[in-house]
Amino acid sequence: MAVAAHAGFIGGDTHDHIHPEPQGFIRKYVFSLDAKVIGIQYMVAAFLFFLISGLLAEVVRTQLLVPRGAILSNDTYNGVYSLHGSSMVWMVIIPLMTGAFGNFVMPLQIGARDVAFPWLNLLSFWLFPVSAVILFSSFLIGAPDAGWTEYPPISVQGPAGTSLWCIAIFLIGISSTMTGLNFMVTIVKMRAPGMTFTRMPLFVWASLATALLNMVATAALSAATAALFMERQFNVPFYDPTRGGSPLLWQHMFWFYSHPAVYIMILPGFGIVSEVFPTFARKPIFGYKMIAFSSIAIALLGFMVWAHHMFTSGMAPWLALPFMILTMVIAVPTGIKIFSWLATLWGGKIHFHPAMLFSLGFIATFTFGGITGVFLSSVPFDYDAHGTYFIVAHIHYVLFGGSVFALYSGLYYWWPKITGRMMSNTLGVWHFWLTFLAFNVTFLPMHLLGLWGMPRRVAQYQLHPEFQFWNDVASVGSYVLALSTLILIYNMVQSLLRGRRAPGNPWNARTLEWMTTSPPPYYNFRTIPAVLKNPYNFGEPLPYIGLDEAESAGSTHPPAGSSPLPAHA
Amino acid sequence: MAQSRAHRKMSLGPGFWPVTIALTIVNVAISYVIAVFPFEQLVPIVGAPADQIDTLFRFMSVIGNAIFVYVLGYLVYFAIVWRWRPSDGPDAIGVQVHDVPKLEFWWTVVPSIIVAIIAIFSVRIWAGMQNTPGDVLTMEAIGHQFKFEFRYPKMKNSVYDSMHVPVDTPVTLNVTSADVLHSFWSPSLRIKADMVPGLVQTLRFTPEHIGKYAIICTEFCGTQHANMAAALYVDSQQAFGAWLSAQARQQGQASAPVALGSGQAAAGQALFGQKCSTCHSIGPFNQKIVGPGLGHLFNDPAHPALVTGEKASPAAISHILISGYQGPIGVMPNRQANALSNQDIANLVAYLTSLSQKKQR
Repeated sequence: MAVAAHAGFIGGDTHDHIHPEPQGFIRKYVFSLDAKVIGIQYMVAAFLFFLISGLLAEVVRTQLLVPRGAILSNDTYNGVYSLHGSSMVWMVIIPLMTGAFGNFVMPLQIGARDVAFPWLNLLSFWLFPVSAVILFSSFLIGAPDAGWTEYPPISVQGPAGTSLWCIAIFLIGISSTMTGLNFMVTIVKMRAPGMTFTRMPLFVWASLATALLNMVATAALSAATAALFMERQFNVPFYDPTRGGSPLLWQHMFWFYSHPAVYIMILPGFGIVSEVFPTFARKPIFGYKMIAFSSIAIALLGFMVWAHHMFTSGMAPWLALPFMILTMVIAVPTGIKIFSWLATLWGGKIHFHPAMLFSLGFIATFTFGGITGVFLSSVPFDYDAHGTYFIVAHIHYVLFGGSVFALYSGLYYWWPKITGRMMSNTLGVWHFWLTFLAFNVTFLPMHLLGLWGMPRRVAQYQLHPEFQFWNDVASVGSYVLALSTLILIYNMVQSLLRGRRAPGNPWNARTLEWMTTSPPPYYNFRTIPAVLKNPYNFGEPLPYIGLDEAESAGSTHPPAGSSPLPAHA
Repeated sequence: MAQSRAHRKMSLGPGFWPVTIALTIVNVAISYVIAVFPFEQLVPIVGAPADQIDTLFRFMSVIGNAIFVYVLGYLVYFAIVWRWRPSDGPDAIGVQVHDVPKLEFWWTVVPSIIVAIIAIFSVRIWAGMQNTPGDVLTMEAIGHQFKFEFRYPKMKNSVYDSMHVPVDTPVTLNVTSADVLHSFWSPSLRIKADMVPGLVQTLRFTPEHIGKYAIICTEFCGTQHANMAAALYVDSQQAFGAWLSAQARQQGQASAPVALGSGQAAAGQALFGQKCSTCHSIGPFNQKIVGPGLGHLFNDPAHPALVTGEKASPAAISHILISGYQGPIGVMPNRQANALSNQDIANLVAYLTSLSQKKQR
């Protein structure tokens, strides 16, 4: 089976043989080696965990309806918010960004038959539900209570489930590292002939930058959680200051991973938006090279800013300054992307498909979150805002308003390709507007609450009953958010049950994944095409030759074979 | 290409300049509101450096708001003006423009300049905070699950849950923790520092407004983290003096002098491992961790004097242990922060003396 992957090397050759699809249920749907099936597995599992962690968030918001805490004891509440954060980061957003869309879309976009190492991919995937089950089962023996950051020494003394948290995060870290390696090799080695680096779709550029981060940074997280586990179980004093350890060691190791992880969670989202904008504005992406290179710049700078999470933690005070300046520098490549997307809209013929709406919403909310991010990078202001609800608001603007909006956009965009069915646009538009409004009602007041004096991670605020009004506003917003998710679920179900059959290229898009049937066949492309140009030139013939005409018939553009360009593959 | 060149000569699209002017007017209006908005009424300020941090926040808010309003404004405006209309036909495509290098140059350079300005402004305020003159009142705050402990110089016992400082007096607050991480934050001070076991951090501020303010723990510390708080009282000089002497009367007078002769080197060695070895080795002077190595304290001809300038003697060492030391490389906590009893100090001095004697033989 793994041999199928090598077919990518001899792409363009119509005689390369295609391995037959496995027939048994287990080999086809459970332990599949096909990146597309693995991508769907990631998607289904992560969406399930998204619903679970979303429910945990609703529990958090319900608890904070009244100053004394509405429903839970402090201990239970602390476990709930800790699992909400841990699970949303590691079991939802990262697996969806890399595992789901990365696996399904990236090999198709580069014209490969699979990823470079299908067996490794299989292992990466199966570590994910295993670690998620371990993480959630920590509820049974006392959930970890120190937040998704689990700072020692409190996490060393924390409930028994904290050790399960260590195991789960260690395993998902290994899975991430392997996925990073796999994607890196796939993108570097397995692109279709003629697809030079500057002809790659921007989602592939984003996946490349993300793969670099996954490969390099995640090792620090695995090491740190292993050390925490050893300290908890075997009394090895890595983090105990009374026995020569250092609590700051954890913070440095943790953020050396978790800051790049912020970019792992947003760079593929940038890639999704960069695919959706040209397609629905009917325009080339503006500033292709700047968008591509800014992804790499963000990834590299992302390694050098971790201590901006630690300005108040007890570093040498002057050390804060280089971290502040480097963090602010990241605003520049990020700004380049936002301005380039705006310029892509200019002069377009914009179709307001739900995917486009979520990408437009992404620009609004992510820009807001990015700006508060620059605020927080300023050391003196961080002395005030750090550890408050201002941070909670900021992280949700970039992770929900950023990552999740981009994921929704990608879901609407690639759903027909993945399932072969169309979704309802009307429901999608409702889903967008309800989500967008409820999102802002939920998280905008948190900025105010934070500066007003509400710390994060509190089960009660009985010392400050004046915080109740805005907490209640946020809670009501979060309930509407939950309702809006039901619209999405209904839309997906009705699409699967009785949705219109999707053509190969329903949006008249130009990247390679749309040049095959929906859903794509086991082998992706009967013949691997050769790539002649950058994919985003609307109004020109498609830049691919050697595509199987029956397969790419879904496109309303002239069949690839009729390209007037010289065949040189 | 010819098509894109033709379009570039065209105007920027219907309504571009009116929209730009409208967004600019909105920005000026919002900037004015931000400039005069009374943040200090939402959360009252105690004094320096809270006022400077508010100024920084105002400044960044004006810039951040301007960027956000332009991005959001053009986003909505472009989406409306350049929307696809049924009359365009299903295959209509947009203007095929790939890039405009001059535009991209400027939207790289201008944000870089803006970021540089914010960075310079932040560094200036940060430097002002570091160089605050002070130490008129130096005190300690120690985090416990789940209360704040405050220690004042010359006061034998600690005060819990309320911190009194005199108005118009530069305060140096050394914070640390007795158990897990906590964080000392007063929204009215606009500054915080994590309370880390085994580490002392310093906050400096000058209270200027008499009143009662909140102190809140902002680092998760356990079940009752949500209820870990204290009150900060800024008193008049007279009221503070009265409070201080009332405390002193309650607690009896200052502690007895240290009896150095009673020290046990073995007990001192154990204590050294707990309290000192994070920063000090027992090697020669140059074997530094944070502070110097202490193995040759009394018999190092190259370093006959202590960092305070005194000749190395048991009494001089005990003075440093009692009052702590703040130098360019870091802070050595005083006896309150290290929780050292008189006997502890005597034990440590005995241990350090025994080290120097061992090395001599």
